[in-house]
Amino acid sequence: MMLLRLISWPYARKHLLRWLLTLTGIVLGVGVFVGMHTANQSVLAAFHETIDRIAGTTQLQVTAGEPGFDEAVLEKVQALAEVRAASPVIEATVGTDSGNVLILGVDMLGDRSLRTYDFEDTDTAIDDPLVFLAQPDSLIVTRTFAGKNGLQLNSRVPMKTMQGDLVFTVRGIMKPGGLASAFGGDLAIMDIYAAQKFFGRGRKFDRVDLALQDGLTLEQGAAKLRAALGPGFEVEPPSSRGDQFEQTSRAYTLGSNITSVFALFIGMFIIYNTFAIAVTQRRAEIGILRALGATRKQIRTLFLAESAVAGLAGSSLGVLFGIALARGMSGYIGGMLTDVYGVAQHSGALALDPWLLGGALAMGVVTSLVAAVIPARAAAALDPVKALQKGRNQALTERENRVRRWWALGCAVAAGGALVGSNNSFIFYAGFVLSVIASVLLAPTLTLWLSQALRPVLSALRPVEGTLAADSLIQGPRRTSGTVAALMLSLALVVSLGGLSRSSFASLNEWMSVALNPDLFVTTGETLTSRTFVFPASLGEGLRKIPGVGELQMVRSVRVTVKNAPVMIVAIDVHSLERRTGMRPLEGDARTMYQQVARGEGVLVSENFAHLRGARLGEVLEIPAPRGVLRLPIAGIVRDYSDQQGSLLMSRDQFIQAWNDDTVNIFRIYLAPGADEAAVRQRILDAYGNTQRLFVLTNRDVRQYITRLTDQWFGLTYVQIAVAVLVAMLGIVNALTVSITDRRRELGVLQAVGGLRQQIRHTVWMEAVAIGFIGIVLGLALGAVELYYALGIAQRDMIGIEIGYSYPVGVALALAPVILIAAFLAAIGPAESAVRGSLVEALEYE
Amino acid sequence: MSSQPLVWLLGLLMATPLLAQDARQIIEEVQKRQRSESQHYEGTLEVIGGGNRIATKRWTFDRIGSFGNSKSILRFTVPAEVKGVGLLIINHPDRASDQWMWRPAIGREQRIALQDRSTRFFGTDFSFEDLEERDVAQFDFKLVGDEGGVWKLESTPRKSSQYTRSLLWVRKENYTMIKVESYNKKGLVRSIDYRDFEQVKGIWTARTTAIQDVTRNSRTTLKYDKLEYNLPLKDADFTLDALRRGT
Repeated sequence: MMLLRLISWPYARKHLLRWLLTLTGIVLGVGVFVGMHTANQSVLAAFHETIDRIAGTTQLQVTAGEPGFDEAVLEKVQALAEVRAASPVIEATVGTDSGNVLILGVDMLGDRSLRTYDFEDTDTAIDDPLVFLAQPDSLIVTRTFAGKNGLQLNSRVPMKTMQGDLVFTVRGIMKPGGLASAFGGDLAIMDIYAAQKFFGRGRKFDRVDLALQDGLTLEQGAAKLRAALGPGFEVEPPSSRGDQFEQTSRAYTLGSNITSVFALFIGMFIIYNTFAIAVTQRRAEIGILRALGATRKQIRTLFLAESAVAGLAGSSLGVLFGIALARGMSGYIGGMLTDVYGVAQHSGALALDPWLLGGALAMGVVTSLVAAVIPARAAAALDPVKALQKGRNQALTERENRVRRWWALGCAVAAGGALVGSNNSFIFYAGFVLSVIASVLLAPTLTLWLSQALRPVLSALRPVEGTLAADSLIQGPRRTSGTVAALMLSLALVVSLGGLSRSSFASLNEWMSVALNPDLFVTTGETLTSRTFVFPASLGEGLRKIPGVGELQMVRSVRVTVKNAPVMIVAIDVHSLERRTGMRPLEGDARTMYQQVARGEGVLVSENFAHLRGARLGEVLEIPAPRGVLRLPIAGIVRDYSDQQGSLLMSRDQFIQAWNDDTVNIFRIYLAPGADEAAVRQRILDAYGNTQRLFVLTNRDVRQYITRLTDQWFGLTYVQIAVAVLVAMLGIVNALTVSITDRRRELGVLQAVGGLRQQIRHTVWMEAVAIGFIGIVLGLALGAVELYYALGIAQRDMIGIEIGYSYPVGVALALAPVILIAAFLAAIGPAESAVRGSLVEALEYE
Repeated sequence: MSSQPLVWLLGLLMATPLLAQDARQIIEEVQKRQRSESQHYEGTLEVIGGGNRIATKRWTFDRIGSFGNSKSILRFTVPAEVKGVGLLIINHPDRASDQWMWRPAIGREQRIALQDRSTRFFGTDFSFEDLEERDVAQFDFKLVGDEGGVWKLESTPRKSSQYTRSLLWVRKENYTMIKVESYNKKGLVRSIDYRDFEQVKGIWTARTTAIQDVTRNSRTTLKYDKLEYNLPLKDADFTLDALRRGT
């Protein structure tokens, strides 16, 4: 403790900037990790909380996938002696001026057996229950929603419905808490039969919530219900809905976890580097302490204690920064998941997991300690005489290099070997990790070689400054290689994610040009993924009669559990699809598969469904439907990106029969030859725009929407990349600061013998740009390897789509000047510090 | 014996003295004296909630058939927001009734599930179960007291009911039900008083029913106007189609 106060504290104060940079590295690394995880967890926790609050005392829920089921099912459920109370539910998310509101359609007569409606005023809350039921425009809102929108009893709330633009009346206000807190309080209650009408659900319910008679276990009750309803229905506790959403969004969670861990790794690398540099730079101090009688153990403990303190401080700030980051990101993530998966998310209060926060704190401290172990041991082992000699410890010994190279070779060989068994996930991921370790271990050697290769170039550019800069890099690989490695990892991340993004966009564009080729899309919402509202099939007949409409396809897409995963069923007129898109199968016979599906004797499955679920051509799939389980063989495997979990294309006729549902999500319209797109669009809006909720999107709109969605998907990744690059830049500043301090005397001598300040500046700038250049070379090379793994991870565990390897040359070309400029900017401060210092002090240094 | 207030006010009161001391006989005599082939009235409903806030509604009521095997239709007429909302009740002698609600604004009927019969009838202090007619065969009766001119009986439902028991007070003089208290496991739930008796076509009829929901501390008063018995009503006017037609 005394050593910390007497030795470490004055040193930290003297090198405040460096310590702040180190702390910033820790803060960013830990912060991004905590921020991403907390934001993800918060959105999922809010979803679970909403389910929980809406469930009330519901023990089991009867569902049959997204399309719901006929009202008759409710009577079947209610007739069971095991059921104490059963109430139908329709859930819909509707966009309003103040954001999404979750509308719960319930039967107010029976629903109170399951849910508690705590009104602000018992008598005036539902001003008149009979009026509430008699008037379908009735809404009960929460105090939160009312307050946010300035609503009171009898206030009017406009809403776009399948019956056109309607005005609803607030006939009750719920107190905050319990049910009223679901979906962040943005909740409204509507009569279920009114909801059927306004959301175009026909005579169907989304689900039935129920409570069992006393004394029955959930398993007993579920077994009775399954036996009574048949295999087309799912009977599960409410919590399973949250689990299902987690499964649906697992691709996003996995992706963000991998990149946030990578960002943390880069941050940690910087921490390691900073401490290694600090220890190396204070070798003279160590020598003095050792000469004065300090034991090796005391030296080791001193450095470990310093690192622990710095790690604790940086991690604590990192946790706080992460929480702030999560607060900002959770809304974005919630919105993005809503758009991508069509399941409304609401980011509520942050779900702070003490284990995660504690773990991140411990990780920061432990990594700092680990980072300091090797330098501290090296410092403790130093011969006091050698320790007082400048520059000795910046060089790597040949033995050190040889050991590193052997380890790197071992890791590289193992990573290469892992490619053989890469069908196994563990081996594949092990290969990924080994390839990163190999590159990190090779970084010092490669840095040295590249520095030596750069020397003639730098000398040619500026004989004095270039040579000094190159020599500085060659003489101090320990100082430089850490920064280079961090920069390399950051750029590799950029390249691999950029490549993944580029390849994804290319594949998407190819698919869109084949499958999404209608001229117009008539939808119930501005987003294609929203399935809250549905059109009646009769609208199709009306649309066909509009002048300019050539061919019309009715599409119904619903999420149903197949092979234990929530996949998307897309029901469409298969003949029309074949005629208009001619999607070629990846597997299957193009001549027969469409006929087979049209006859209701098979389904087409998407490539990602086949990959993610291990489905094979000809395999018979069991698809649960309210009228019984459909057993259909896979007639073909096609490229379809409709859903991340995979999609099943089936005949619309068969869907209507099996689900007793002829509603439509999207009308795909091909214009008649010579018809004007804008004119047809306007005719549709004129004919139906005022009488029902309807949006007409052009092909361009849809493509832009999908591109925007993909951009959103990669959006947070870009933020993480930016942080990783920023951390790497901090490393450059740190390395240069150390480099200048190390060479203070050398730079002072240079000035004393007539060197110009501008020359000093140039030396520092060139050193920085050289570090940036080496980082770019290594980063782009490692990026090529990481892109292979990124595509593999995306295919096997995220989206199941085989994306062709395409190196993002454009990204690489764009990165090079950005990094070089950033490196130059990072050098300005240290360079000025080098030229503005006292010449006398510089010459006196050491 | 049932605890349903409307049942008793439909035509409880026929008065020929009977010296029956057996509880079931008393109730059978009560039913016999109120028997009619059909019934019509216009009711005015006042729900008095907390803070003495009063909500007023009117409805018309028609019934056809014998007690416990009858059909009835109730339609709201006032206020305008609820006009046309109807309820069709088809009583069965051996089981609980079937009930459907008609909501003209959304143009559809809704079956009232058996499980929902204990819920309040449109914000009044009646429950849907209270609107049923249940045959005496669906209850056990016990004479629990003789309070001068009034018998006090206890009924226990043999089949599913929200109530575990009810206490009934029957005036000896004319076999009219004057009060019912209904209990569940937790205690008293509803208390109903029949008042302003007069004879209509020979049937002693209460012109006012007051019901109190003890758990909510609110009360509802129902007054009967234009009450008539044995009108020439048709079976076809008591069907789901008729409910939808609003005739």
